[in-house]
Amino acid sequence: MSTAMNFGTKSFRPRAPDKGSFPLDHFGECKTFKEIYMRCLRSNRFDNSRCREESKEYLECRMDRQLMAKEPLEKLGFKDLVDDSKKEKEAKS
Amino acid sequence: MFTTINRLINDVKCVVRIPQRLLNPSRGAKINRRKQTQEDDWKKRNKTVLTYIAAAGVGMIGLSYASVPLYRLYCQATGLGGAAVAGHDTEQVETMKPIRDRVIKVTFNADTHASMQWNFRPQQSEIYLVPGETALAFYRAKNPTDKPVIGISTYNVVPFDAGQYFNKIQCFCFEEQRLNPHEEVDMPVFFYIDPEFDEDPRMARVDTITLSYTFFEAKEGQRLPIPGYS
Repeated sequence: MSTAMNFGTKSFRPRAPDKGSFPLDHFGECKTFKEIYMRCLRSNRFDNSRCREESKEYLECRMDRQLMAKEPLEKLGFKDLVDDSKKEKEAKS
Repeated sequence: MFTTINRLINDVKCVVRIPQRLLNPSRGAKINRRKQTQEDDWKKRNKTVLTYIAAAGVGMIGLSYASVPLYRLYCQATGLGGAAVAGHDTEQVETMKPIRDRVIKVTFNADTHASMQWNFRPQQSEIYLVPGETALAFYRAKNPTDKPVIGISTYNVVPFDAGQYFNKIQCFCFEEQRLNPHEEVDMPVFFYIDPEFDEDPRMARVDTITLSYTFFEAKEGQRLPIPGYS
């Protein structure tokens, strides 16, 4: 794409990720969560909105094992899931 | 003197007619002088107007030369940096609302450089998501050789214009990743598509975005510069 040396065409500019790079999971500590997420995706025809709970759990696994910087889940776009679980807790108590 | 002649003529009704111009020479001279000063005035005004226009022209040229460092200063001050096109800000992730009626298919592609011996492939061929919703995708990389190999990757988004809306929260690119012999790892990419994607008229017919990663082998001590404004 960026090898087309046409004068005036904008070339693609990759951007660095917001929160940097994931450290590699050398020991496969979060592999089970990943498997659960992939299974969910396959059974839901790769629809992301149905598997958000599983992706949240994978990221929580990473955070617990120092494979990801700890961040409140709202900042990762899981505000709706966090709010739902809070509402459930309130409804139960 | 001429007035007396005039009176004499009127009295005598002489046939000799003296032209008006000569009869009133003082008035003529005044008119001529007025015309002269008027012309002078106009000339002066023209000159000033021309000078102003020339100054404005020179000013415009100067401004166009000065705009480059000025814009750079502005970018540094406001922090728009290299992403000035659709400057997304990280606080947006918290508050953005997913746009439910616009489903986009994101397909994944994986490549390696010719001399890179890793087996690198995506674990899902596509994901359907909506703008404003964060999504997780996985790639898998395996080092089949007997030596540890350090890889470094970059990515590409097609269509090019959609790339500005494709925001990665976290991934595995631009940093060295080391794989030990016969090791296989999962590499996640956590990303979202900016909700403003839905409002861009150029994106109205875009339904598929392809994310393509390419791994290169990194030499010891080599560092890819992190892309951005520097």
